[in-house]
Amino acid sequence: MSAGGSGGPATGGIDHNKIIIFGIIGALVGIYAAYFLVNAIGSAFSFIAGLGAICSIVWGASAVRRVSNYGLGTGVPSIGMLAIGTGMVASLFGMAVGSIAGPIISFVTACIIGLVIGILANRIIGMGIPIMEQSMTEIAGAGSLTIVALSTTMSGTFMIETILPNVIGTGYIAMIFIIGALSILHPFNANLGPDEHQDRTLSTGFEKGAIAVIIAGIVATTTAGAASIPTILVGAFIWYTAFSKFYEYIKRDAHKVVGTGVLPTEEELE
Amino acid sequence: MIDIVGILSANLLYVLLITIGGTLVSFSVHFVPVGGAPAAMAQAPGIGTGTVQLAAGAGLTGLITAGTVLGLTNSIAIVLASGAVGAMLMIGSTMIIGQMVYVFGVGVPPAGGKSKYDPITKDQQDIYSSQGTEGHALPTASYISGIIGGGLGGLGGSLVYYSLVNVTNNIGMTDLAGLAGIFAVGIFFINAVIPSYNIGGTTEGFHDPKFKKWYRAVISSIIATFMCAIIGVLAIGGL
Amino acid sequence: MDPLLGMGVLALMGAAATIAGATEDLESDVGSQSNPNSQVQLAPQMMHPHRIYNKAISGEPPSNALMCAIGGTIASVMMSAYGLSVVFAITFGAAIAAVIHGTYAASSFMGRVSSQKRFKQPLYLDIVRSHTPVIIGYAFLTTFFILVISYLMSSVLNHPFPLPLLAFIWGITVGAIGSSTGDVHYGAEREYQNVEFGSGINAANSGDIVRHGESGLRNGIDNAWFCSKFGGPVTGIAFGMTVFLSGWVTTVFNPGESITMGWLSVIAGLLIVAILIIGNRIIETWARSTYGPYQEEESEEVTA
Repeated sequence: MSAGGSGGPATGGIDHNKIIIFGIIGALVGIYAAYFLVNAIGSAFSFIAGLGAICSIVWGASAVRRVSNYGLGTGVPSIGMLAIGTGMVASLFGMAVGSIAGPIISFVTACIIGLVIGILANRIIGMGIPIMEQSMTEIAGAGSLTIVALSTTMSGTFMIETILPNVIGTGYIAMIFIIGALSILHPFNANLGPDEHQDRTLSTGFEKGAIAVIIAGIVATTTAGAASIPTILVGAFIWYTAFSKFYEYIKRDAHKVVGTGVLPTEEELE
Repeated sequence: MIDIVGILSANLLYVLLITIGGTLVSFSVHFVPVGGAPAAMAQAPGIGTGTVQLAAGAGLTGLITAGTVLGLTNSIAIVLASGAVGAMLMIGSTMIIGQMVYVFGVGVPPAGGKSKYDPITKDQQDIYSSQGTEGHALPTASYISGIIGGGLGGLGGSLVYYSLVNVTNNIGMTDLAGLAGIFAVGIFFINAVIPSYNIGGTTEGFHDPKFKKWYRAVISSIIATFMCAIIGVLAIGGL
Repeated sequence: MDPLLGMGVLALMGAAATIAGATEDLESDVGSQSNPNSQVQLAPQMMHPHRIYNKAISGEPPSNALMCAIGGTIASVMMSAYGLSVVFAITFGAAIAAVIHGTYAASSFMGRVSSQKRFKQPLYLDIVRSHTPVIIGYAFLTTFFILVISYLMSSVLNHPFPLPLLAFIWGITVGAIGSSTGDVHYGAEREYQNVEFGSGINAANSGDIVRHGESGLRNGIDNAWFCSKFGGPVTGIAFGMTVFLSGWVTTVFNPGESITMGWLSVIAGLLIVAILIIGNRIIETWARSTYGPYQEEESEEVTA
């Protein structure tokens, strides 16, 4: 763990607002499309919710990148754990009471609690990070969408009658909790440094999201409403694509990629 | 749609208990002596890890113990006490081994940096700090502070879990344990991170000047946990 | 349950926990994780490029919780969907979890090094190829033994939490213990063997880590070799103590029998805590009287 950030706003590449829209729309469309298509056609379509999960994970990773650039005084992971804790409480509530509106209620609840915690952090604790309110809202919202989307990938529905015995009672929800948290906080944490680039960080987000989808696909074998093979294949394909892209960016960004070698000499460092 | 007012009025006690539990967790983190990265290099006193990490490790161990005991007895006092003891055992074992690593592995004696004399043993601290550091390892005051912190954290976590399990509901015990367990974990993490922002990630214990800021984190936690408690009770009570 | 059987299971859990703790610490030393990694991260900036892995996967508790929760999930799926036996299911779960941990490790190493372009730190691919499998190996051992503990708790001791949740919580705990105990041996001693033993690490030396090994250039595997002599085993003892003692008090004094027994278990736990506090005090006074204060030797103790 290391305290990170250069103390200024993050820059570069794709506009963050576009990523917000991509995350919210992508995740909600994915969740609902999976739900309706599974009901109407068959369980093979449960993987679409996994695509939704990847959208919200990439959004969350981008939001973490934005706020962590200010330096939180403690490690990058803490804000991810805080937000996913909020997201977890909110999405269990949303799915428990919301029925068909479950994902939307989860999302809105998470945003409200996230906003309140952001306000508390700035006003009462006095962290003084200008975008804390917005970022906490965003990361908590992204966390709740990730949790709902991964639960839907596992069971083909977000109805609590199915989720409770299949995902919560079996304890898989604990795995969703931590894989959601790490997928969101790892991309920026893994690329932290003065020469961090947005595209590389986001490609890590896609890669980690794909791993979460693959695991959700394996869990789907235990449920009747979700199909395992399509989810695993789609996840594996996205993982391979994202990792190749990530490695391309590594070769582009690193000072030197060498098979092996001795340390650079003093003259080379000047 | 569920009967919001009915469920809340029937379980008002549990909403309050969850809020108290979450706030206790938040308060407890201020006691846990962690020095972050500098402490891992023996450049600052305390345990060489992050606040959230150690508090979560201790509190969740307490949650496991409380879960064991809640399967055996219904006495709230014993469940809470067991949760506190489980967490104290975890943090006590961790700190004494950590102390051994500093003393035998790194070769530095315990020395605090925030007060010249240890508030409990009255030993002089500053002459035992090596050059260029604020102190290292765990003087007795920090150790006892950590034990108190672990105990309060375990107590708070168990209180949250106990309250969630006892909300009136129609869920089978297997599903309920998973649901209440993960809810408790979520509430625990929220209340472990808020105080760590308050103290900036490092503290030496109750004698650290930063400890005086505890009320800021506690107020924040009361508000945040109260919201979580309401929706938690509604979610479990509505099923 | 038969108390004797309970004690036997508890002993097995304690043994498994000791191994899990030791491998957890060595895993974090090979890859350089958590707080000591801040120095590995800082070194290139201080003109000290190095050949040490930079495994920045959040803190140790979340990363261990991730692999244990994945392992628990896969094991539980294998048992319920395919009816696999426990040993196979746990092995399979731990293997998948370890490989996923390997992808996290590799992406953070390559990512962090690439983000240090301006300090001219090269990315050595042989380090990726040689260290990642070692990390996966240790991660497998840790996950496997945590799953053994969690499985024994949920099926034999009838803990109400499901297997993945127990594995998740023990993962958080083993990570918290590893980063609190064994990591200090890596961070404060192994990274700074260039200063005299016991002289303390001046904050001005930050980033000046040892980069040359017993022969050739030092890497993470050399660090695990050193830490396996002290940091790793004591981490194992700490985690073993935690698992054993927290279970021991409720197994010997079973709160299910009567309220009195419940209170006795609490009292027994508090007594152990009191012994720990006294033990800590003994170590403190021993260290102070043996090593003595620094003040009068300040001028000599700068660096060796």
